Amino acid sequence: MAARKPIFNQQVLYDTTPLPESIPKVKELGTSSAPLLSAAFFIGARCKDYNDDFMQCKTDNPGRGEFECLKEGRRVTRCARSVIDDINKSCLQQFRAHWECLEDNNQQLWQCRPAEWKLNKCVFENLKMEKVIPDQPKNSTPVHLRPHQIYAHRPIPREETPWIPPTQAAKSP
Amino acid sequence: MPQDMPPVGGYEAVQYKRNLPAKGFRPATIMLGAGLVMTYGWYKLAIGIREQNEYAREKMWSRIHLIPALQAEEDRDLVRRHLADQAREKELLGENIKVYNSDRYVRPTFAIAPGNITK
Repeated sequence: MAARKPIFNQQVLYDTTPLPESIPKVKELGTSSAPLLSAAFFIGARCKDYNDDFMQCKTDNPGRGEFECLKEGRRVTRCARSVIDDINKSCLQQFRAHWECLEDNNQQLWQCRPAEWKLNKCVFENLKMEKVIPDQPKNSTPVHLRPHQIYAHRPIPREETPWIPPTQAAKSP
Repeated sequence: MPQDMPPVGGYEAVQYKRNLPAKGFRPATIMLGAGLVMTYGWYKLAIGIREQNEYAREKMWSRIHLIPALQAEEDRDLVRRHLADQAREKELLGENIKVYNSDRYVRPTFAIAPGNITK
């Protein structure tokens, strides 16, 4: 029974009691799935250490992680929130274009490459964060930098070219 | 009466072969052509599968980056509900009864519902 997840999605199953004062408050992310997906790799770029700390804490406290890892959890949430806030401040237009595209396309990242390239460029220039997918094969272009996406519904227009981050450009001749 | 005998020099050969040129390409050419078509198909398939693998990797890593944030939010909510439950139990019963013989957190199966629904 413990594995059964009670989801509080019925109208009467609400409990609005706030956390006790002894537990510090943190503002929740308040972001839906498409913007989160759009910002995922930037959250990963900035918050990797906090995320790893939190997951390590959860692993070290099996069955008690919910209580023991509140501090790490607040750090994770604060960091992710700072990323979203920063992107909102400096790249709102590109961010919105990308996640609205994701929302219109079943959240399939490969349908939205042009918007993603613009967002990546803006984020790199303003926030110095870069999208890197780990563990990719070394002998091929990273999938998010390919000018042709095989499975996309619409071909990418010719005038849209991938924005290659300087670190990648230095690596490949 | 003399018996019927084969004609002198034997019968003519029965023509069982068609006296027509073979149509179409030579079998070897057809084999080669089919092989080429299939090789091209496999080549494109391999490219497609590799691209799909990369899409899957990208999706997986986006999730890996997001899971701690989502889990932290969920955990805070569970703790909030748990502490509220405990406080309510304390207020109603005067003490907190230990239901399980361990300190592990168990997600509640049942939740209280307010008696009067106002909205």
